[in-house]
Amino acid sequence: MLWKMFFMSKFMRLDAKAPATLGAVVEAVTRLSTLSEAKILELVSAGKIAELFPYKPAGGQSIPADTVAEKDLSEASALPLSREQRDALIESSLPATAKKKSRVFSKG
Amino acid sequence: MARRFVRTAPSKVDRHRLVDLRVTDMTAGDALWWDARLGPKHALIATRADRLWSWSVLLPLCHVVQRAKRRYCRPLVVWARTDSGRFLRVGMSILIEGYPYLDVAHPGDSHFVWFMSAADAGVLTSEFGLSHPPALGRVLLDNAIVLSQNTGFGGRMGLHAAAAGGDALLRLYERCGLRALPPAAELPPPIRRPNDGRFFYAEEGLAESLAAALDASR
Repeated sequence: MLWKMFFMSKFMRLDAKAPATLGAVVEAVTRLSTLSEAKILELVSAGKIAELFPYKPAGGQSIPADTVAEKDLSEASALPLSREQRDALIESSLPATAKKKSRVFSKG
Repeated sequence: MARRFVRTAPSKVDRHRLVDLRVTDMTAGDALWWDARLGPKHALIATRADRLWSWSVLLPLCHVVQRAKRRYCRPLVVWARTDSGRFLRVGMSILIEGYPYLDVAHPGDSHFVWFMSAADAGVLTSEFGLSHPPALGRVLLDNAIVLSQNTGFGGRMGLHAAAAGGDALLRLYERCGLRALPPAAELPPPIRRPNDGRFFYAEEGLAESLAAALDASR
């Protein structure tokens, strides 16, 4: 549940550029999770995913450099990940923004 | 012994030349970079199935949708060595672990390639100093096969070719050695979708032969 709270608080509405409420994001995710992966792929490819999920991650992150030195690349393991590694991967999928408690339930 | 991901691939310009590759786990920064630096170029290429994809949205969204289904995603980035010696993002994929295997005659788990993109070779050369863009189709699919084998799924994998990719995308997956699921074949019940004839898969024997063909590149 903690990761869920962390996760949901970092989405913004596409139109109003306002933080999304946890409930609204959960509802959208629940709706999407009833669809097949192939259907979601088609919606995304047709540019229609925003009709079902009108959110984007909270911004503010700068674009990384185009290239990286080999020594700075952390190669992925080809082995199954531990639960902790999976959780870290999920956390890293959203920009690292300052955590503000109010954002979790602010206007959506 | 567990297989590793591949570390070289042939150049699309000169098939005899190998390009160094590395595979990393995908983070928000990778998705942001792809959307900002390659997205606008790809959006202009009408034939690309991924021209409207936003990885910054897809990456967290795929994680949460699959967690809602009690599965995990494994998003990966493929990097290639540029002319300067540094590495550049050239491929992206989001795999699903523990997905129902598409061949209902042999029920089990597999890895499913949900989203996969290779950067446009011309853009890599003209904008990013990569004179030898790598051929990535087999590499991106191999990542799924290797993970499936190392997880104990025998290399079983599947995917659905986006309709936006047209017949060209079907031919690409055929050239990569995947087996097309017959249009009349049933799909596993959790998929909840009619078979549109655009599903591909690899069973254990095929997966092993595809992976073995790349062993010299690992």
